[in-house]
Amino acid sequence: MNASDDRSDKTGWRILIAGTGGQGVLTAARLLSEAFVELGHDVVSGQLHGMAQRGGSVQSSVIINGGISPVIASGRADVVLGFEPVETARTLPLMSDRTVVYMNTAPVVPFILGQRYILKKEDAEYPDVKGLIDRVSEATPRVCAFDATEIAVETGSAKAVNIVMLGCLLGSGVLPCLADVFWDIVARKIPPRLADVNAAAFSRGLDVGGRLQTLEGAR
Amino acid sequence: MGTASKHAILQGSPGERMSLLGNLAIVRGAIEAGIQFFSCYPGTPSSEVGDTFARIAGEADVVFEYSVNEKITVEIAFAASLTGARAMCGMKHLGLAYACDPASTMPYVGVEGGLVIVSAGDPSAITSPNEQDQRHFARFLYFPVFDPSTPDDALQMTRFAFEFSEKTRLPVILRPTTRVCHSSGMVELGPLPDQRNEIRFTKDPSRYVPIPVNARRMRVEMRDRFKKAEDLLAASAFFPRTGGGRLGIIASGVAYAYTSQVIEELGLASDVTLQQVGAYPIPESVLDDFTKTVDSVLVVEQLTPFVEECVSLSAFRNGRSMPVLGKHSGHFPSEFEYTPDLVEDVVREFVGRERRKRTSVSVPDLPPRPPVLCPGCPHRATFYVAGKVFGKKTVYCNDIGCYTLGYGEPLHACDVLLCMGSSISQASGIARMTGRRTVAYLGDSTFFHSGLPALTNAVQANDNITVVILDNYITAMTGFQPSLTTVPPASMEAQSTPSAGFSIEAAVRGLGVTEVYSIDPYDEDEAVEAFKKAKDGTGVSVVVSHSPCAVHDRRIRKGQAQAPFTIDQERCNACSLCVRQLGCPAILVTDGTYTIDADLCTGCGLCARVCQHDAIQRLTPERV
Repeated sequence: MNASDDRSDKTGWRILIAGTGGQGVLTAARLLSEAFVELGHDVVSGQLHGMAQRGGSVQSSVIINGGISPVIASGRADVVLGFEPVETARTLPLMSDRTVVYMNTAPVVPFILGQRYILKKEDAEYPDVKGLIDRVSEATPRVCAFDATEIAVETGSAKAVNIVMLGCLLGSGVLPCLADVFWDIVARKIPPRLADVNAAAFSRGLDVGGRLQTLEGAR
Repeated sequence: MGTASKHAILQGSPGERMSLLGNLAIVRGAIEAGIQFFSCYPGTPSSEVGDTFARIAGEADVVFEYSVNEKITVEIAFAASLTGARAMCGMKHLGLAYACDPASTMPYVGVEGGLVIVSAGDPSAITSPNEQDQRHFARFLYFPVFDPSTPDDALQMTRFAFEFSEKTRLPVILRPTTRVCHSSGMVELGPLPDQRNEIRFTKDPSRYVPIPVNARRMRVEMRDRFKKAEDLLAASAFFPRTGGGRLGIIASGVAYAYTSQVIEELGLASDVTLQQVGAYPIPESVLDDFTKTVDSVLVVEQLTPFVEECVSLSAFRNGRSMPVLGKHSGHFPSEFEYTPDLVEDVVREFVGRERRKRTSVSVPDLPPRPPVLCPGCPHRATFYVAGKVFGKKTVYCNDIGCYTLGYGEPLHACDVLLCMGSSISQASGIARMTGRRTVAYLGDSTFFHSGLPALTNAVQANDNITVVILDNYITAMTGFQPSLTTVPPASMEAQSTPSAGFSIEAAVRGLGVTEVYSIDPYDEDEAVEAFKKAKDGTGVSVVVSHSPCAVHDRRIRKGQAQAPFTIDQERCNACSLCVRQLGCPAILVTDGTYTIDADLCTGCGLCARVCQHDAIQRLTPERV
């Protein structure tokens, strides 16, 4: 526990979405933001993507009823949606022992990792995923690590990882919104040809999200 | 484009709340103010302002252009203002520095229609070669400067700025920083205008011509107009004071948002008086009221101690002796963006609270994901071929654009870099002093931006340089804005035809360059031949390398991509030549095995030509 946390009752929900360029981080953040604005909440969202391009690190914050700052301070994330193991580990400073973490275990190996060794003789190993999960689990006990990419592929498209992760978020029970209410809003914002795949991905994500909730209940 | 419904930003009723990106809030504010003219040169983090106007200009009845550079964009927007139009122009901090010459005289002459210069700042130099504090334009050149903390501030300030500019006849600067530009937040919409300014230019040379005799008169008038600006700002909504208590915090920009968050979370509202600074000059009445109310002051502002020095001076002038903590006291740095954690730590110290303990779990070493030239990028092909001909000893002067990524391993295409258009002048300076032929690399948009005068200068001096113009028909790095060589959408099919748009070669020949070579960098033999001739020439030679941006080409010609390549594992002996020569991110190396990611590969075939073992072949349907 954070013994020195002398904050008055913290308001709102702070969600950090992390992944790589091309995984749909910004789309997930936009859908989440728009849905909660439609539900009548105040939403602030910030992006961090530097020279954004495919394969770069991308982070987006979505802050619901939590003031005007778009940046989440260290230890203040209520939920981290990590679309990729290394990118999840990058958000460790934002986690506290109360943070709920959904972590995709499927790596997106940096394009140039193997090339770096040839060009600069630098370490070229992608970190051990199990080790990364352990490190996140040291920060918070509320971690659900699973292969979201596999689930997305099973539902019809690897590109639906972001929707699987949004399903987890709504299945976690952390947010003040019922999953089907949320999906009714989001489904209207998705191109019709992707509707079925995304509905399936969201549903599978919900199941995974609920798993952590069940664990919490048992504890 | 469907015309059935208007762009969302042109809809919405007064009082309605919605979530908008900071840059879009600026557009909305300008629309509400009845903007009639907008121009810009793209630059992160300002680009979405111009890109949005590009989409809505027609329906919003706004005269729009992507200008060739920022000096021109400021001049043309100023001229639009002189016809009575409400005008705005957009750029990043570096662009305003480039436009300083015209900007410096604009407050003297004064505007007719309201004029707002949006100049986005980039603390921490996230996408820039430096960070700058444009608030100094308030002192330096007598521009009122608005400094929004949130997207809602950005909207309200932009809407206010046009009328304020007309009342003071001063052009104003709106300076959002990256965190405001690229964050979305709740904004409150105002009404859309029911009338707009009348357009009319009335001749009055003594009013518009700052020859010295007029300039000296204008100087005095400007002093009075600047004083009026201070009075109007004092009565504005941009200096709210909240809370109460003898501890005073004064904050600006996104650092104000962080500060207000900390005060709310720590329940400090009854101990701390929080003063926001939303514009400059800070009215003396605001400073006097604030320093009168408190016993000690903490200043929370990014970059230079601008507010801090205003507060200190005001307290001193009013005979108040009080600690003013900030950068001079060592509590905050003058470099880089603030973080919410830094602000929280210093505020806690200021109010006598302990520091908050943070997680003890450290972040392990993680592989970086640095920006690299995309797979299939034609710049890689140009660098490869030019490097073969000019060799490792030649000095390569690079420029601002995607091609800056030729820096370092393995392309070594960037030995010096300064600013837009500097590659040619730097090549001139180095060639003249070393006596060796020097190479300049710059893109199409950058060439027209500021390369043209530098090339003229090199021709005048007959410098021993080769200028390589990388024409990919688009301004890629800032988000695919058109350049002069971009083919209009109607003839998009001809996108890959060299010089289907404006002719770079004709422009270069018009300056008197006789050795001008046009190449397709993927036609290696032809390209090598051209670079050899350019190298052996005397004086200025120019190579124009035409090939479309691979990413943009894929986006606009969906489904016509070339088949990707694959590596025949029986032929590949892992010599690593492809990686050491090209560094294409589609080539993956795993445990000594080389493969090509078929999803990333654009089928450009450059690696197949580099391979000495014929191991890289195009993936045909049989191979799939």
